Amino acid sequence: MLPVIPGRLHLLSHLVPGAAERDPTGLALVGTDERLDHGTLATRVGQLAAALRSVGVTSGDRVVIFAPKSSQTFVAMHAALHAGGIAVPVDPRAPAPVLESLARELVPRAIIVAATTAGRWPDPSVPTIGESIDQTTSHLTWTDVDGFEASGPANRLGSDPAYIISTSGSTGRPKSIVHTHTSALRYAELAAGCYGLRPDDRMANVAPFHFDQSTFELYAAPLVGAATVLVPDVLLRFPASVSELLERERVSTWYSVPTILRQLHQRGALEQRDLRALRWVLFGGEIFPPTELRALMASIPEARFSNVYGPAEINQCMYFHLDGPPTGEQSIPIGTAWQDTELRIVGHDGAMVPQEGRGELLVRTATAMAGYWNRPELDERVFVSEPADGGLVRRWYRTGDVVERHADGLITFVGRVDRQVKIRGVRVELEAVEAALDAVDGVTASAAICVDDPEAPLVGIVETSTISDVSVVHRAIREILPPGAVPDRVVLVDSLPVTTSGKVDTVSAAQLLEVGVRT
Amino acid sequence: MRVEQLDDLATELTEMIQTEITFGQPVEPDTDLLLTGLVDSLGVIRIVTWMEDHLEIEIDPVDVVLENFQTVALMVDYARRR
Repeated sequence: MLPVIPGRLHLLSHLVPGAAERDPTGLALVGTDERLDHGTLATRVGQLAAALRSVGVTSGDRVVIFAPKSSQTFVAMHAALHAGGIAVPVDPRAPAPVLESLARELVPRAIIVAATTAGRWPDPSVPTIGESIDQTTSHLTWTDVDGFEASGPANRLGSDPAYIISTSGSTGRPKSIVHTHTSALRYAELAAGCYGLRPDDRMANVAPFHFDQSTFELYAAPLVGAATVLVPDVLLRFPASVSELLERERVSTWYSVPTILRQLHQRGALEQRDLRALRWVLFGGEIFPPTELRALMASIPEARFSNVYGPAEINQCMYFHLDGPPTGEQSIPIGTAWQDTELRIVGHDGAMVPQEGRGELLVRTATAMAGYWNRPELDERVFVSEPADGGLVRRWYRTGDVVERHADGLITFVGRVDRQVKIRGVRVELEAVEAALDAVDGVTASAAICVDDPEAPLVGIVETSTISDVSVVHRAIREILPPGAVPDRVVLVDSLPVTTSGKVDTVSAAQLLEVGVRT
Repeated sequence: MRVEQLDDLATELTEMIQTEITFGQPVEPDTDLLLTGLVDSLGVIRIVTWMEDHLEIEIDPVDVVLENFQTVALMVDYARRR
């Protein structure tokens, strides 16, 4: 096995062993029922990697992590890489059709399971590790894993795939984003620099591992030797419990979608907590209304706040540090690019917008994905190849986001070129929601609409002559759509307006609702 | 809050959760509503609001914690302590 040379990291799987070498007894991970130091974390990662190899995982194999967030799944995200494989975190609440599609396309070599997910993976022949309900297939328990001798990280190239994150596509078929060791490591390094991360930081991990925001803690924390404090998914439903955890663990950084921060402000009893250790709050994934951001910043006056931008395909690559609470009602800028990144704005006419103006944002960056798994046609659509000197090619990523650059050079988000929306920070393609609604027995047409209501932003309008009970529709679509894409409200109508081409007119359909529509 | 209100609370709370939150999926007093994913954060808010209206009490955000809201039985226990 190759030695890990400090300062010469080229693999993501070098991060945990590196931290263990520098500070073996320093705090690395706070889970719900255990605390691990860097040395123990590295041993646990090495043991699970050895267990993964024993069930057949070799270089390039996919390892699905299909379990709620815990210290075990944190270990598993690193162990998959350590074994030479590719980590694939999957939402433990994903519905059967999504799991079937992932099983078919990714063909994993091993699956990490919990009691709540065991038996739900569509292909029972894949070896499992973790908690299980039956022992019919090849299965290792956590106790079995403890019996393995820890192994070192497999030799890979920086350009090899490291992890895959799936988002729902417009047809319902998931889009699986492939990041390499290099793209993720560069992200971790740039993030550590941008937010001045230190070994004594305690970073709250709020996002689930299948959501790309979690790479901030997963990789930047071990890079600098900081500790990660896991915020379990269940706890997020109780903002007062979250704020209690922040105080108890003296958390110093936080990164989440604005929705969770708004809940923390409204129901987190912040005035009763001592959050002086919290030095930096990052938010991203959707727009933070200035009024609510102002109120939140007043309740955590010591912390700095930053708006973070970057689709999962290219990682975070833009930031805006707020000097203080926003004064007006204008939206918070997504800011400027960090290092190793170039931005370009392209107008309707396809011409570059050199200074101020609006257009689609294109990015080329060291933190960009390798491509989508098994989807060359999508790669072709999102990557633009630009000829460079010497016959070389520069590859730009088309974000699909319409932005505006202002006179001061700062950029603000304006909207989308397609029908993708963000619901509580999660990407949702409205076409996929409509396809699911249309598939319900008795539905003749549908329109999915994003409305101006923070409590219930996603509304499905359904045309039906046979369904009278709306819960029939709710139940049916819950079986098909990922939890984040299920409409908060379903409205039944006798008929939906159509355009001259015969398609459902979603703009007119929205007028059937009594609330303002987000564009 | 009257005693008979509390006696019916478990039944009424279960009924509300089944119709408005889980859309027909059955809920028992000891069903873990959170780990199972049956109730999300908006669901918790709706339960809290319903209890406040129904029992004519104010629930302090500090009391809205996992320990008090994991199951219908725990919610009833919490209401009883109020």
